[in-house]
Amino acid sequence: MTPTPTAPDGLGTLAGKAFAAYVAGERERLSELVDLVTPVLWNAARSQGGSHATCEDAIQTAFLQLVDRAESINEPAAVLGWLVVVVKREVWRLARGSRREFGVEEVPEAPAQQLDPEAQSILSERQRVLWQHISTLTPRCQELLRVIAFADRPDYAAIAESLGMPVGSIGPTRGRCLQKLRTTLGSDPGWAV
Amino acid sequence: MTSHTDAIDARDVTNLGHVRDLFAHADPVPSDLAERIKFEITVHALHAEVAELMDSALLTTRGAETAVEPTPTESVTFTAASVSLMVSASPSETSDSDDADQRVRVDGWVTTPGAQVEAVTNEGSRTAISDANGRFVLDDLPHGPVHFVVTDPSNDETRPVITPTITI
Repeated sequence: MTPTPTAPDGLGTLAGKAFAAYVAGERERLSELVDLVTPVLWNAARSQGGSHATCEDAIQTAFLQLVDRAESINEPAAVLGWLVVVVKREVWRLARGSRREFGVEEVPEAPAQQLDPEAQSILSERQRVLWQHISTLTPRCQELLRVIAFADRPDYAAIAESLGMPVGSIGPTRGRCLQKLRTTLGSDPGWAV
Repeated sequence: MTSHTDAIDARDVTNLGHVRDLFAHADPVPSDLAERIKFEITVHALHAEVAELMDSALLTTRGAETAVEPTPTESVTFTAASVSLMVSASPSETSDSDDADQRVRVDGWVTTPGAQVEAVTNEGSRTAISDANGRFVLDDLPHGPVHFVVTDPSNDETRPVITPTITI
C-alpha cells in the first residue's frame, strides 16, 4: 500500500468512501477499509510505545467498535481520524491496565520513538542517519511525523488533530515539526547527497 | 529560507517518504495482521462459532512461516460442535494452462445436507448448497487466502460456523 501524495483523494477520503459503502450495505468493502488504514493504525499504535501484542489488540478492538457503532457514526468521511483516536486510547488503556480510564478530553503524549536494537541493526546507513535526526525532534513531533508519513497530504491536518495536536499544527502549511525535520536534514552534509 | 508557515512542498513529501520507509523497514506491520482483523470482524459480526482446524496436511494456514508451496490436492478438515467440514482444492478445469491465472476448484463435504457454504476470498464470496449427501463444489476460486462460513438455511436457531483462513 503506497500512499500517493499527489492523488486528489487522500487515504482518509478513500477510507471514508469504503466505510460509507459498507454502512450502505456493501459488506465486502470493509476489507478494503482494513487494508487501507492498517499501516497508519499500526504506526499510530506503535508510536505510543506499546508492545506488538498490545498494538494488535488495540487495532482489532478499534475495528470491532467501529463495526458495532457503524450506524451511529455521523461522519463516515472522518473514519480514519476516528480509528486513530480509538487506537491511541486503546494502546494507553491496555498498557496501563484497565484501572485507569482516560478522560474524554485527555490525550496522553507519546514517548520518544524507540527502535529495538535488532531493528536498528537492519537499517541502511542512510536510514541510520535519518533515525539520528528524527531522535533530535520532540516526542510529539516524532509521533506526528511517523503517523502522517503513512497517509497522504490531504489527511495530515485531520490525523494531527486525532493525535491531540493543536489545530493548524500541520497541513496545508508545513508546521513546526515538518519544518524542523527539513532544517535538521538540510544542515547535515552527510544527508544531502 | 523556509518557514513553518509555508505550504508543504515536494521536499517535505520526500522527507516524509524517507520517514515512512524507515519505520516500514524497522517496525513493519505484521504480514497477516489485516487478514486476522478481517477474520475477527467476520466472527464478531456473525456471532459465529469458530471451527477448529483438524488436519492441515499440506494446505498452509495463514501466518505459518513455511515457504513450502502447498500441494493443491490435499484436503483439510474443520470441526465445530455442530458441524464438520472437509475441503480439498485442485486446479480448476475451466482455467487455461497459464499458471499466473490458474483458478482453483474446491470439492467439499459437510455433515449437514442442504447447508449453505460460503467461500470468502480476496475477490469476494461464492456460495454453494450441499447436496443430500453433504457434498458441494465451489469452482473458479482465486489462489490465496480463503475461509468458509457454514450456515443452515433450514434452521435459524443454529449459529453460523466459520473456519480459520487457509491458503489455496
